[in-house]
Order: sequence, then C-alpha cells, then structure tokens
Amino acid sequence: MKDIARQSMSIKVESMDLLNGQIKMEAHASATYLAMASWCEQNGFFTSAKFFFKQAEEEREHMMKIFNFLVDTGGNPISPEITDINHDYSSITDVFESTLEHEVKVTKSIHNIVKKARETGDIATERFLDWFVMEQVEEENTIRDILDMIEVTGTEGVGLQMIDNQVANWIE
Amino acid sequence: MNVIFQSTYYTLYQAIDERCFYIDFGNKTVRMSLCQLLSLRHKVMNINIEDHFDSDLNSHGFEVLMLCNKAHLFILNTLEVLDLKNLIENGFMEIGLSVRSVELTR
Ligand SMILES: [Fe+2]
Ligand SMILES: [Fe+2]
Repeated sequence: MKDIARQSMSIKVESMDLLNGQIKMEAHASATYLAMASWCEQNGFFTSAKFFFKQAEEEREHMMKIFNFLVDTGGNPISPEITDINHDYSSITDVFESTLEHEVKVTKSIHNIVKKARETGDIATERFLDWFVMEQVEEENTIRDILDMIEVTGTEGVGLQMIDNQVANWIE
Repeated sequence: MNVIFQSTYYTLYQAIDERCFYIDFGNKTVRMSLCQLLSLRHKVMNINIEDHFDSDLNSHGFEVLMLCNKAHLFILNTLEVLDLKNLIENGFMEIGLSVRSVELTR
C-alpha cells in the first residue's frame, strides 16, 4: 500500500497536538509580557517596560518558529486563542517573580514534548526542540539574575529607580 | 479505493491514485485531502463530549460540523460524535500518523 499519509506529513499527530499547545503557550507568554510592559509604563518603570516589550516580541518569534515547523512538516498549525491575561501586579518584584514562574512552566512544557517525541520515535520533533531547550535555560537564567539584582539593590528609597535602570543590562 | 477503518456509522477510505481520502457518512460521501482530514480531526477531537450531558452547555446534544472549508455541513448527535471520534483515532493509527497506545507503553 502506497503511503500517501506519510508522504504528506512527516511528524506524528501526537507531536502536532503538543506543538499546537506550545504555540498557544508562547502566544500567551507574549501577551502576558505585553501586559507587564503596560504595567511598567504606568508605574514609572520605563526601562523594565522596554525589557518586556522586547520579551513580548521574542515570544511571538518562538510561536512563529513552531508554527512554521508545523507548516514544513505538513501538519495543521492552529492560530491560538489567548485569554486570561493578568494585568495586576503588586510590585516590580511581583512582575519579575511572575515572569520566572511563567518561564519555568514553559520549560516544563517543552521538556514534556521532548519526552513524548522520544517515546513515539519522532526524531524530527525532538531535534527541532533542541533550540527551545537551550533558549529556556538562557531565559530562566536572565530572570533569575534580575531577581538577584533586585534582592541586592533592595526596594527602599531610590532602590526602585536603581532596579529599573539596571534592567537595561539585560536588554541586548 | 481501500477501507482504512470502519466504525459503527462511518467508513474511512484511502484512494491512492487520487492521493486523497474519502469518508462515507452514510447519507453522503466526502472527498478529503490530508489537510482537510487533519482539520476534521482538529474539530472533532475538540468537541467536549461532557458538554452533551450538561443542559446549560449543550441543551440539545447536537454538534454542527462544517467540513472542507464550509463545503459540507453535518449535524451530529452524541453517539455520532463519539463514533466519529473513534473513526478518527483509529483511522490515524491505521494510516501511520498516530502512535498506537500499546507501542507507547512498550
Ligand atoms: Fe518562549
Ligand atoms: Fe520565554
């Protein structure tokens, strides 16, 4: 039997479903960082706002990377619906702590897809995700460094303004 | 044209010379490319069957399904939706694009 299905699509539908889930997660991250940029702008943290505008763009690029992978493999990429974007933060520390929490969630999700791809013998998906695994290490590290800086600087007096100025060090 | 999988109400066929698939819905047979079959899969697998047992979420227990870029419209009841989910799951295993759960646990 000639295999028209395999000839048209080079990954398993299980991987496709998980990658569509990841598309949604990256889009959610992008929208969340945009909300954080808005919060920073409104609360006088202008450098941090710049940082989050850039993060929002990067997350959209991640989403498009996966989207295009699904196009290339003959899958069915789904444009994500994004809901439940939090705009309320109690402090700049809260903003960065939430960021780290979000990134850890993303890392776990990517690791899960790698594991599933390994189980199903989907080597293409597994290798495709290599870049994302390393990117997550970097992103988590960046946010952890910023949180360390906040800790050292302290939020008393001019601390908040110093914190915002130093975030510039993490904007390439 | 050869049968890939047959469920209670529906049959999925593969037409190698045409490089496409057919689903016999009983009253109508629909020709589909793999992309259209993937799109059908997405719609069917996203139907939350629990909603059919909650009169607030789905008061009539029907699903309206539009296929092949709005070329076809089907109205399915709960049993038909379940059967179509079954056809899709098994059909994708048969054509080799889905992994059998037994293979996964090995
Ligand atoms: Fe990301
Ligand atoms: Fe990220």
